[in-house]
Amino acid sequence: MTSPADVLYADNPAWADVTPLPQYEGVNPLAPILYTEEYKDATDYFRGIVKTGEKSPRVLELTEKIIRLNPAHYSAWQYRFETLKAVKVPLEDELKLMDELAVKYLKTYQVWHHRRLLLTESYNLEPKRELEFIAKSLKADTKNYHTWSYRQWLLAFVNDGELWVGELDFVEEMLNEDLRNNSAWHHRFFVVWLGGGGGGMGVGGTREEKERVLRRELTFTKQLISLAPNNPSAWNYLRGVLDRTETPYGLILPFVRLYIVNLSDRAGSTDIVDVENPPPSEGAQLPCTAALEFTADAYERQGDDEGRKKAVELWKVLANEQDTIRKRYWEFRIRGVEKKVGA
Amino acid sequence: MSTSSHTELPALARAGHAAHCKRCLSGLPGSQVEVDGARLALSFYCIGSLDLLGVFFEKTSQFDREEWREWIWEQHISGKYGTGFRPSPFMTTAGIAEGYEYTDYDTPHIIMTYTALLCLAILRDDFSRLDRTGLTTFIRACQREDGSFSTVPGSGEFDLRTLYCAFAISSMLDDWSGINVPRAVEFISTCRTYEGGYGQSPFCEAQGGTSYIAIASLHLAPSSFLPNGPLTPAERELTVNWLLQNQAPSGGFKGRTNKEADACYCFWCGAGLHILGAKEFVDKQALAGFLASCQFKYGGISKAPGEHPDPYHTYLSLAALAMYSPYTEGAEGNEATWQFESLDPLLNAKESTARWAREHIPARSIATTGHGVGVE
Ligand SMILES: [Zn+2]
Repeated sequence: MTSPADVLYADNPAWADVTPLPQYEGVNPLAPILYTEEYKDATDYFRGIVKTGEKSPRVLELTEKIIRLNPAHYSAWQYRFETLKAVKVPLEDELKLMDELAVKYLKTYQVWHHRRLLLTESYNLEPKRELEFIAKSLKADTKNYHTWSYRQWLLAFVNDGELWVGELDFVEEMLNEDLRNNSAWHHRFFVVWLGGGGGGMGVGGTREEKERVLRRELTFTKQLISLAPNNPSAWNYLRGVLDRTETPYGLILPFVRLYIVNLSDRAGSTDIVDVENPPPSEGAQLPCTAALEFTADAYERQGDDEGRKKAVELWKVLANEQDTIRKRYWEFRIRGVEKKVGA
Repeated sequence: MSTSSHTELPALARAGHAAHCKRCLSGLPGSQVEVDGARLALSFYCIGSLDLLGVFFEKTSQFDREEWREWIWEQHISGKYGTGFRPSPFMTTAGIAEGYEYTDYDTPHIIMTYTALLCLAILRDDFSRLDRTGLTTFIRACQREDGSFSTVPGSGEFDLRTLYCAFAISSMLDDWSGINVPRAVEFISTCRTYEGGYGQSPFCEAQGGTSYIAIASLHLAPSSFLPNGPLTPAERELTVNWLLQNQAPSGGFKGRTNKEADACYCFWCGAGLHILGAKEFVDKQALAGFLASCQFKYGGISKAPGEHPDPYHTYLSLAALAMYSPYTEGAEGNEATWQFESLDPLLNAKESTARWAREHIPARSIATTGHGVGVE
């Protein structure tokens, strides 16, 4: 694949046997693209190749050229994949090229789709190499949706116990870099609660195991909340875990309450650090909106008038002070329970 | 209602945004080559923007409109997987009149088919040329074992977007025979996440765009397929909560938790909330304020303040405003520039355009009028 980039296929003797086919445009088109000479030339030859059905090494060169000019050219990707299978190129060579292209065109769907196809078709799959590659590309773009999706797909596809276990360390590494990376939080949920990383949480698993995992996840989440209280990703995860395990919200109110009062208001209560209920880091902005919301929900779920009244008080704080952009929503919640109070 | 931010809202540069879209329709620079495989979708964002601004027929000539209609119908192709629309003739070497038949590398595309139908509805086409039976065959050819849909028949490229297109097309056709609906609905449910949103495919992170797609699809499906409703009350509450959480203090919506606000998510999240009956909870003054700041000085709307505009973000911003217009009856000055005709959030088109589509695309429209020419 060494043909000089500036030579057009039309001027290249090695391609003289192919009849280039120009694009048909028909009537005055909508949003026509003023193609570069290079792109027009390459795609003319590509249409010519598709017409004859040729699948040979030089087609790999041609499709690579088109992909580099337009990584979203899905027909070039599709034809390339079929050609790879036909000429039996070692998968490793193609993956090496993809390592480069994936970083270059990180946001292009096709790059990742092609990689998936390669892995699916491969018999000597090396998932560890893939996970390392993904970890490396996530360094360049820590929240890239395609990259994370690919990791999730790969783990589910391979479904190997050992791989699952390593994922928790990976998530922690990502969260160490950025506690607010929601993709990492989501990945943790996927690994622990849907995949095989929870010690049997996904399928089966004994009661004791489940309780151990729940405790571990709650401790982990609380610790990260204490480091950065105003982090919706962590609170969403906390709620997700409680919902998933049907754990009553009220059970962790002793922890959450620490995040709705000012430090000065609870002087004396932090003499002994309770590991189950780590307090907010110094200088944290309190009250924490997510904690107010959580506490109100917990009160509402008590199902009695006292709980409802307490919830209303908190929603008023949200509506009028803490979260005014959603004022109408909190007022709606207030109306919803006020109808029930004393009913 | 807060009125303080009211007075500060600058004008919506309607003429500038219309000009941006018209410019793109007439031609794109070579640097935009990535649009090659999605030109019909881009055309939809341009034509759709003009439609939302209410100037489509005023700002385009009869001559142009006729040619555009012809060009779109040229992308309507039939072959072994049925009939649909391709993105552009980027893989085509001859016209249909010359006996051209599509190959495996130039098939109809499901997303382009959805956008083509909407473009034609905006052009007020009578759809007499639509191969309706071929269209259901094509949709069927795109559905996969797991209930999802591929972009083109046989390709492994699939996600929730394609499923929505299949649902929207079937809804416009008023014919669901091309879809195994229960299986598709099952696929949607596997994309739901603990946050209350939906990911692009199973196991993926909740995202505003795919959440809209999931919610809209569940509401487009005939209720006979959903005996328990589109969502349970608990699911609905969680989803509303998450969508609302995405409205940032700037007024714009984020696409994912802890990301930056982006103009397109004002539509995706906003439309999701509208469909779920939670429209009133959106702070529309703040939303308009954010979109105002995304306006590019030479026309067009960008994803965030200071970025370059494109038809995609322009269209979706205008569509968001058509649902959440800050305009109040009788207002003058800057505020008067923010007035819109309302939007059909399920099909993502202006209400009158959606109505045209629903009146002219179903097979019965031919049965009642002879040639598919609408009575209205
Ligand atoms: Zn965007």
